[in-house]
Amino acid sequence: MKRPAKTCPVCESGARVLDYKDERTLSRFLTDRGKILPSRLSGMCARHQRQAATAVKRARQLALLPYIKGYVG
Amino acid sequence: MTRRYETVYIFDSALEEPAVTEKLTKFHALLTRDGKGAVSDVNHWGKRTLAYTLKKKDTGYYVVAKFEAEREVLPEYERLVKLDEGVLRYLVVQAGEEPTRPAAAPVAAEIEVEEEE
Repeated sequence: MKRPAKTCPVCESGARVLDYKDERTLSRFLTDRGKILPSRLSGMCARHQRQAATAVKRARQLALLPYIKGYVG
Repeated sequence: MTRRYETVYIFDSALEEPAVTEKLTKFHALLTRDGKGAVSDVNHWGKRTLAYTLKKKDTGYYVVAKFEAEREVLPEYERLVKLDEGVLRYLVVQAGEEPTRPAAAPVAAEIEVEEEE
């Protein structure tokens, strides 16, 4: 049984380049602990998966996204 | 050789807007010093809650600035920004293709996350 190929949610939305300042969109590609979803789960194409990974890391540096969600102290 | 860059500054939210603008003017004066650079777009996001504490602060005043500059002036510029006590954090990146915000918010495929803690 072959699974139907998932299509990239970013390509489908019409965006070409992901923005590291747009943490609302990026948070869709994180687990509930704030880890980056693997492309197997995010469904993103390789190009957007790479972009998303860089963007999330930049957003973390800028305290737009947490390194670990729910971690206090 | 001039390149296009983008800087995000996070200022201490205790600073008032005139103080922030004054600091920005100081930083950007350096970039445009010998008439080669140009600051094209300064966008004040204002006060925002930080995702984690920075220097024991919970909020920061965000400013995004786009500019063109000689790459030779960047080390000096970064040094100046780094030394400023009012800046909690900053990030300089080379500006590439203008990002487009996804029109319809993309939905991460069905969430079947197996989270290993």
